[in-house]
Amino acid sequence: MTTTEFATTPEDLQMFVSEVWANHVAQVDELVPAPPHTWTATAGPAVPCWSGAVSVTGRWQGMIAVDLAGGSAEALARGMLALDETEEVDPVELSDVVGEFANIVGGNVKSLMPGPSTLSLPLVAHNVLEPPSGLHPQVTLDLAWRDAPVRVRVLALPSPTQ
Amino acid sequence: MKIVLADDSRVMRQIVIRTLRQAGFTGHEILEAENGREAVELVQREAPDLVLSDWNMPEMNGIDALNALRNSGSNVPFGFVTSEGSDEMRQRATLAGAAFLIAKPFTPEAFQEALSGLAV
Repeated sequence: MTTTEFATTPEDLQMFVSEVWANHVAQVDELVPAPPHTWTATAGPAVPCWSGAVSVTGRWQGMIAVDLAGGSAEALARGMLALDETEEVDPVELSDVVGEFANIVGGNVKSLMPGPSTLSLPLVAHNVLEPPSGLHPQVTLDLAWRDAPVRVRVLALPSPTQ
Repeated sequence: MKIVLADDSRVMRQIVIRTLRQAGFTGHEILEAENGREAVELVQREAPDLVLSDWNMPEMNGIDALNALRNSGSNVPFGFVTSEGSDEMRQRATLAGAAFLIAKPFTPEAFQEALSGLAV
């Protein structure tokens, strides 16, 4: 069975994201709901971003994707790496951070879904990752950290009855 | 004490080491592995007192590494540090012989609680 009948709620997703942010970026209250940002794979220099995604295969099948504008990605990286604001973030480590963010949120979403299922290793891009065409958005969280957009999406295969 | 720490994310290995320190576990020798196969090799070569391992890793995942260790006769205390903390995963970990499973994101208190039952 590969359906969207098992759904993550926005509250669940918000809790997972907030826990990661609270653990690593001190100003968790600064991660706030925001209007949807325009993310495009062909964005110009005005929207530099990092994206990470993990997929779940099994009884529930879907993908959990995170998109972070440059400022929010660097804030998370500085928190995870315990760097101060004057230190440069190595792009390789930034990629690692974005992958771990996707992995942690994705692993927690997977834990809410019926198993058995398998979590993939994270895929990271310095651009927006577009999901496979068969997956439909189930929950999307649009947030911002100090005006730098953060988006978290859960996408799933549609139910056969839908 | 000698601890093997397996995670394919270098950043996460740094976070675990920092959290161990915050939890009061200082002065230990940490041997880092990027996947399960490296962890198994380190256990066989270095005879550590504890293994902390991610579950989902390339080449050899954590549960396969644990099975390989138990099949080779190693009884080294083994704990998972993973983003997957469902009951199903915890049961699989316990059945394979893991001492505990710490779910990411974690706190120093989670390490204190998990390690308090071990002679570390």
